[in-house]
Amino acid sequence: MNLRIPLAFLPENKQATVVEVVGGRGLVRRLYELGFTPRTKVRVVSSSSPGPVLVDIRGARVALGRGVTMKIIVNPE
Amino acid sequence: MIKVALIGNPNVGKSLIFNNLTGGKAHVGNWPGKTVEKKVGKCVYKGVEIEIVDLPGTYSLTANSIDELIARDYIVKEKPDVVVDIVDASNLERNLYLTLQLLELEANVVIALNKFDVAEDLGYEINVSELSKLLGVPVVPTVATTQGGMEKLKETVARAAKEKSRRRIIEISYGKKIDELIAKIERILQKDENLTKIYPARWLAIKVLEADDEVLKIIEKSPCVQEIVNLLPEM
Repeated sequence: MNLRIPLAFLPENKQATVVEVVGGRGLVRRLYELGFTPRTKVRVVSSSSPGPVLVDIRGARVALGRGVTMKIIVNPE
Repeated sequence: MIKVALIGNPNVGKSLIFNNLTGGKAHVGNWPGKTVEKKVGKCVYKGVEIEIVDLPGTYSLTANSIDELIARDYIVKEKPDVVVDIVDASNLERNLYLTLQLLELEANVVIALNKFDVAEDLGYEINVSELSKLLGVPVVPTVATTQGGMEKLKETVARAAKEKSRRRIIEISYGKKIDELIAKIERILQKDENLTKIYPARWLAIKVLEADDEVLKIIEKSPCVQEIVNLLPEM
């Protein structure tokens, strides 16, 4: 199944695969450094709108602003 | 005295290794004008005094944030004899990005493959000697929580410090077109000896293409800035 949704819309504890990061050069570079490269698995640990989203990526937990998670496009499993 | 810097991603056990090596003799100091702390400690290995600096945890060495810049400036300007890159063995892929950046900076790198027990528990089989061969630097498995591998780490650091060469170990390819451009900019920059005394030319060239703010500021003051500007249509 090939869906494209922003990471912000992924429900808690649901796993997905990063498709792309839609943003400026600075944000894309920063998120790549944190490990948000295409085909990487991500899981939302905790998210309650409004507020930051806690994400599990490559075995580390990263808190991201909700705006940033709108720019990470994922494919839910 | 050997000057050693500890660097690595956040939460890989840097500070634990720091405390293991220095035996709690650490004192906390501030970087001038910065709020981020660095810790300095000392240890002795076979009569040789080793000064160890614990750098802030970082995922990369871009000029994005002040802690990354501190880490980068320390390695480039203070030129520690050895940089110990602490890598989380249970999370190799994410950690090796920083390792490659250190190698591009042509630092004298020793890798501490920490959390080796966690990696084994997860069923990972890491071929340490192959990793060392691929990266061209010594790799020491460590378990900081039980002090495992600390003596070996000290020994490896002492040996690496003797060789003490800042050299290009590996060259990462960015694809033919970009590699050619890097080579061109590198050749121009090599004419400015004041610059290449401090910074590796290839690293500067890569950072120019990344439009790294700090590096662009440095290049602006160089007499070869015009030649690089002339290359702009190719970029």
